[in-house]
Amino acid sequence: ISHVLVCNVTQRVSFWFVVTDPSKNHTLPAVEVQSAIRMNRNRINSAFFLNDQTLEFLKIPSTLAPPSDPSVPIWIIIFGVIFCIVIVAVMLLILSGIRQRRRMSKGPTEVDDSEDKCENTITIENGIPCDPLDTKGGHINDAFLTEDERLTPL
Amino acid sequence: MEKARPLWANPLQFVFACISYAVGLGNVWRFPYLCQMYGGGSFLVPYVIMLIVEGMPLLYLELAVGQRMRQGSIGAWRTISPYLGGVGLASVVVSFFLSTYYNIINAWAFWYLFHSFQDPLPWSVCPLNGNRTGYNEECETASSTQYFWYRKTLNIAPSIQDSGGVQWEQALCLILAWLVVYLCILRGTESTGKLEQLANPKAWINAATQIFFSLGLGFGSLIAFASYNQPSTNCQKHAIIVSLVNSSTSIFASIVTFSIYGFKATFNYESCLNKVILLLTNSFDLEDGFLTASNLEQVKGYLASAFPSRYSEVLPQMKNCSLESELATAVQGTGLSFIVYTEAIKNMAASQLWSVLYFFMLLMLGIGSMLGNTAAILTPLTDSKLISSHLPKEAISGLVCLVNCAIGLVFTTEAGNYWFDIFNDYAATLPLLLIVLVEIIAVCYVFGLRRFESDLKAMTGRTLNWYWKAMWAGVSPLLIISLFVFYLSDYILTGTLQYQAWDASQGQLVTKDYPLYALAVIGLLVAASTMCIPLVALGTFIVRCLKRGDTAPMA
Repeated sequence: ISHVLVCNVTQRVSFWFVVTDPSKNHTLPAVEVQSAIRMNRNRINSAFFLNDQTLEFLKIPSTLAPPSDPSVPIWIIIFGVIFCIVIVAVMLLILSGIRQRRRMSKGPTEVDDSEDKCENTITIENGIPCDPLDTKGGHINDAFLTEDERLTPL
Repeated sequence: MEKARPLWANPLQFVFACISYAVGLGNVWRFPYLCQMYGGGSFLVPYVIMLIVEGMPLLYLELAVGQRMRQGSIGAWRTISPYLGGVGLASVVVSFFLSTYYNIINAWAFWYLFHSFQDPLPWSVCPLNGNRTGYNEECETASSTQYFWYRKTLNIAPSIQDSGGVQWEQALCLILAWLVVYLCILRGTESTGKLEQLANPKAWINAATQIFFSLGLGFGSLIAFASYNQPSTNCQKHAIIVSLVNSSTSIFASIVTFSIYGFKATFNYESCLNKVILLLTNSFDLEDGFLTASNLEQVKGYLASAFPSRYSEVLPQMKNCSLESELATAVQGTGLSFIVYTEAIKNMAASQLWSVLYFFMLLMLGIGSMLGNTAAILTPLTDSKLISSHLPKEAISGLVCLVNCAIGLVFTTEAGNYWFDIFNDYAATLPLLLIVLVEIIAVCYVFGLRRFESDLKAMTGRTLNWYWKAMWAGVSPLLIISLFVFYLSDYILTGTLQYQAWDASQGQLVTKDYPLYALAVIGLLVAASTMCIPLVALGTFIVRCLKRGDTAPMA
């Protein structure tokens, strides 16, 4: 405090100051003082419980804190999540549509196929129970059911 | 046996599909702007009158045609008269243009939505300049929301000629938007009707235009939707419901918009005052807290008389803060959604939540309208035996989405926003008026109003009210003709067309003239759809003449 001289005091809390060097007995050049203040701005501010908006040093532009920049921008993460969900949903719908259409077109032909295959299994592998026939029978029923649904709106 | 036409599961689904199509972004950003320009509440008078006289009859007509003909727009008009297939084709062309540029708005909404999950919101703070001593220059002269819109989102070029490369971020968002639309239309009709949580002669003309475009007449979407109806559906009731819901949504949206305007104006006015106070306090070394908003004028007068020289130095930097001028900034279109609203949102408490909700709403509106547009394109394509026999429904939808997405990449370039404005202003306005005029004349005079009336009675079991007949036969065509004449004369009188370009150095929009090739594109846009009508009529006539020439010797 003894080496800081204050002059030109005005109504608002503002003042000019110079810093003297006791050992060399002259005032320090403004450039040095400015760079020192720039580096220690935070300490000076917090000593007065002020910040850059409430304590201004003329001709010393404050170094602004840059906005936080994460390595991966947040928006890409959210974009990726929603993109994957939509792609999965599209794939599911397309696949279910294809499966439905294949079941529709195979419906009438499956009856003949299964009968042939059953005959083959009986002749080729005697005694093997016709489990395939049972499940195919289930399949056939399903196909007939969906065909009925198609017809009722008419 | 003909394959059964897919049907709506219940009439409610159809109504919701129409509502979600009609209630779109125009309700949010165009209607409040018109209210503000033409006297606030008194704009409702021409609006309601035009709704009753023009909107409802035309909406009912389109729904009835679709339900009666049970085909998309091309097939429906060809059934009415073989020479009129061009009307349907013109509708499809206009819908195609619309779906090309409309989805970029959804892409922008996605972009903002993804950026809403940050603290602070990226459009509320300016980025720093090179040596971190101040803010970015462009951001300082404009505002942080404008900077985020013009620089970070669009990366806009200074003029339409400097088209830079495709912005990959926007392109990604556009692809996502098209994937979402594809997901919704993939399964066809069943998936588009999902429940949604939804004095001045210029004033009259704008009311008529707003009703017209707000209801989405003439695109063929309504015909497409109605073609999937049971023939006995009461489309008269639905027409009234849809138009009423659409209008009440517009009015509700303008109430909300005006309160947002008020909030934003008050906030900006107060921060402007604070800036002036800070400037004066610093220049004259006044005591902190001496200058307040209430004594500002007095102190200014005192300072002007006591320190005239220094006051005149400071004067150019002082802005004249006025609440009226803040309120008077009426903006429409993308400027309203992405600049004004975001500016209001950034100042609210819990701004991330409001931001997410707001952009989610924009997305719902935008995608709902997109589904209607794509239905208008897909229904004629799936109806046509030629195409649907070779490709399954999913492939046709996928192809349409792919083509539109590829063309839409143009709007993600640096000059993309200027091309967007071209499409937005010219692709739909004039052609739609002509299409709807031809539609109404076709139904009333070519098909015959009596025949249509008896068809409707056989279909729905209800007689047609005299009101609808009077509107269809007389009032609505006259209105549309006068609108058409007005727009044509307006275009001719204003001479060269101009556009607003963003000037980065000034931080505001400047007016520039369109270059020649842009004018050519505008002409092509309008011609591509309107010329369909006479060309197809001519083509059908020639084909018929040739056929008659072939069969005559045999007879």
